[in-house]
Amino acid sequence: MEEYREEELTLPAEPMLLHMGPSHPAMHGTVRCVVKLDGETVVGSDVQIGYLHRGFEKECEWGTWTQVFPYTDRLNYASPLLNNIGYALAVEKLLGLQVPARCQYIRVILGELARICDHSVCSAAMAMELGAFTVFLYLVKAREWIFDILEEVTGARVTHAFCRIGGLRWDLPENFADRVRSVLPKSLEAIHECEQLLLRNRIFMDRTMGVGTITPERALAWGWTGPCLRSTGVAYDVRKAHPYLVYEDLDFDIPVGSQGDNYDRFVCRLEEIRQSARIVMQALDKLPDGPIAVPDDTGILLPQKLETYTTIERTIQHFKIIMEGIQVPPGEVYSYSEAANGELGFYLVSNGSGKPWKCRVRPPCFANVQALSELTRGRLLPDIIPTFGSINMIGGECDR
Amino acid sequence: MTTFFVVATAAKLVLFLVGIITCGALMVWVERRMSAMIQDRIGPVRANAGPFRLWGLVHIAADGLKMMIKEDFIPRRADKLLHALAPMLAIFPVLVTFAVVPFGPTIDFGHLGSVNHLGPLFEGRWATTLQVAQVDVGLLFVLAIAGTGVVGAVIAGAASDNRYSLLGSLRAASQLVSYEVTLGLSLVGCVLVFGTLRLEDMVLWQHHHTWGVVVQPLGFVLFLAAAIAESKRTPFDLPEGESEIVAGYFVEYSGMKFAAFYLGELMEIGVLACFLAVFFFGGWDVPFLRADGIHLSLPMLGAKFWAMPHWSVVLLQLGAFGLKVCGLIFLQMAIRWTLPRMRYDQLMELGWKAILPLSLANVAVTAVVLHALR
Amino acid sequence: MPYVVKRPERDIWEQSYIPETVRGMGVTLRHFFRNVIGRRDTVTILYPEVQRPYPPRFRGLHRLTQRDDGSPRCTACMCCQTACPAECIHIVAGSYPDGHPLAFVEKYPAEFWIDELRCVFCGLCVEACPCDAIRMDTGLHARPVEARPHLMYERNLLLSITDAKGDVLTANPRKK
Ligand code: SF4
Ligand code: SF4
Repeated sequence: MEEYREEELTLPAEPMLLHMGPSHPAMHGTVRCVVKLDGETVVGSDVQIGYLHRGFEKECEWGTWTQVFPYTDRLNYASPLLNNIGYALAVEKLLGLQVPARCQYIRVILGELARICDHSVCSAAMAMELGAFTVFLYLVKAREWIFDILEEVTGARVTHAFCRIGGLRWDLPENFADRVRSVLPKSLEAIHECEQLLLRNRIFMDRTMGVGTITPERALAWGWTGPCLRSTGVAYDVRKAHPYLVYEDLDFDIPVGSQGDNYDRFVCRLEEIRQSARIVMQALDKLPDGPIAVPDDTGILLPQKLETYTTIERTIQHFKIIMEGIQVPPGEVYSYSEAANGELGFYLVSNGSGKPWKCRVRPPCFANVQALSELTRGRLLPDIIPTFGSINMIGGECDR
Repeated sequence: MTTFFVVATAAKLVLFLVGIITCGALMVWVERRMSAMIQDRIGPVRANAGPFRLWGLVHIAADGLKMMIKEDFIPRRADKLLHALAPMLAIFPVLVTFAVVPFGPTIDFGHLGSVNHLGPLFEGRWATTLQVAQVDVGLLFVLAIAGTGVVGAVIAGAASDNRYSLLGSLRAASQLVSYEVTLGLSLVGCVLVFGTLRLEDMVLWQHHHTWGVVVQPLGFVLFLAAAIAESKRTPFDLPEGESEIVAGYFVEYSGMKFAAFYLGELMEIGVLACFLAVFFFGGWDVPFLRADGIHLSLPMLGAKFWAMPHWSVVLLQLGAFGLKVCGLIFLQMAIRWTLPRMRYDQLMELGWKAILPLSLANVAVTAVVLHALR
Repeated sequence: MPYVVKRPERDIWEQSYIPETVRGMGVTLRHFFRNVIGRRDTVTILYPEVQRPYPPRFRGLHRLTQRDDGSPRCTACMCCQTACPAECIHIVAGSYPDGHPLAFVEKYPAEFWIDELRCVFCGLCVEACPCDAIRMDTGLHARPVEARPHLMYERNLLLSITDAKGDVLTANPRKK
């Protein structure tokens, strides 16, 4: 009998190139994966980002320090408040400024609420792409209730532009604490329902467990941070490792995963929602009275409105800040905080002109999404979807 | 062949066809409203007929109209003939399999008012069975026709000149072919128990003894799984998998051609619910209701009998069948809106490594038990 | 403290698909029956007929506040135009002639344009106004229009828009 080698028996075939995205339901319109397929096996993939590049960093150089806030809203648009806070902290670090305790607490509360929104919408999108549409809507519902609160506080559902350098736009509305105390349990209940629907469901486990696995070493090598890194077992959280605001005074734990696969990333996010809710509740209890911003004679905050209307000194001060911008001393600073996707860093350079000379963002998901190609190589085409979903690439943040 | 037979068959044909297509359209509404209610939404209720919204029912008409006037888009490099043929091929098996579904017992137009002592199925001058075609190999006919369902999907994907469609049709081909096997095998147990391939006789057996789900519980679960896989719905909607391969094999279809695929899929739910009812839930059988009236034998009360006229018995049984079908459609929809989607290889594994061996085991156990009872 | 999240065991309960499917259907069907039979729990609304009230702080379309005599409170100081990150405010200043009853405020906006399509609704203009002349408390969101110019709001239109309660006046106590 003649001997045949395996290759001779199969018909010659070449891999199929498939362009997934940017207009593809799972790619959120912001990224393109060019995948090379052998059947349904991904031989290689080329993740192309940049579809949402709006020149954030260059835009920042055009406006005053304050005018950057609306831009930061549009970085990670799933949790704009965290970007607001991150940027405000960076400028305050450059100014050597410490905001009052009440402001710090409010920032923590709002930031954690934003984190809950971000994690739930990320988990929701991931579940939807796995076909669990009901879970998507339950989680979005949970987020929606929190959005209602944020809208009452900030005046907008998504583009809050709420933080100010040295303070906040407004104090909390009167019934804020009660609203949060009544809404958060409802949201957590909705999240619990989703856990019931998914976590022990074999289909979900099969789709996510052992898929998109990454070792802690590789994750660190790629520069991963945030829930994605924690899912590999590395308990690095800026809030614990380098506490800022008042996180030191609050009691919370860091959920970490063990395998670093999609399942761990999904569960870590849901657990972090619980922890965030814990932080919010504690911070509400501890919330001190007092001013929400640094005193307005520092030339950083706009003076009290009523005084501006009625006294000429204040009007002049007001004009100076508006027309010239906040005067930030020359220097440079790198400040980082724990945003929803990981370490959100701002590297600011000031030349003392009232405008940022350079505003560089270290977007957490830029580092995370780099690994996508490695995570999906050799897997099946459908595995790209939950892996991409659990990495939570947010175009606005990644592409800036 | 009497004139009455021809007229009756034609009438049944028209009635059922109209019924099925209406049913398919209604299913669109059920699907939307039910998912909305599950997901705490209101759902589509926008379309209205004057002041009437009818809980969104008008949307069916609006959608139909929209589908008809939409552009019928054909990709430039697509195979025009096959592209047009595919939706017809996809909808054909659904319509045809309906022909053998026994919706009700025999109805005798000559003796509507009297009490029927002949039993549910009988011959007579003015009698006709509520079933379009009585086929001796009914079950095989169903499986054979259902097997052609894959052709439409494959042709649609291959003719569309789109890589996503191609992937979808490849998935459809392998999925449908694999689950075809289990679909048949999971029913072999039923065939052994009922001792017939004729669907009307299967119902009759259940009418006289007990429902199929009692004697074949495993067969029911396996058939349900295989049936959902055949109708390509979540968790087995891989050929469509909108987040992976966009819409799979019918991504390049629009207008009425798209509607044909969509309706076909929804009507298939109806067909499968019918078959589930026929094989496992006694078809038109109502417990304690015989052809001549209600026979109750309760341990405390002793045997009781209320005679009922023929028309009311048939009506009740038809209603019971409808109710069962609705319940089974509801079940399928609830599953669809609860579960996530499987992955291709896992689906294959489930089919070949779990459902197939289990249905073989089911057949073996059934055969042994039947032999022992003989 | 870090803690490791749970990963469920994979025993017969999970591996057989059915128990978990039934449990999941318990959740979904609970919602279904609550919405169909019981009290409606739906979170969506039939939008144009039912409207969610906007909170008081909601940043909506702009308005220009009026003095008691109906003239614009704006003094064309250009603060809002400077503060606007979207560069969507355009003001042309005019001066009150001598002898005009409002000559003491010197300037007024001869033209005042806001391009609501460019606006990002950040509220920086409101914050920047030193005389409470521009506000976003109208409780109106930018509605779809048929042509772009329809969302270019000019002075008189802005002046005629009221706040959510129908008021055109301002909290600025200064009369002079
Ligand atoms: S809200 Fe913001 S973008 Fe809109 S006009 Fe005011 S400053 Fe400009
Ligand atoms: S609206 Fe206010 S800030 Fe703008 S020009 Fe008029 S007075 Fe100045």
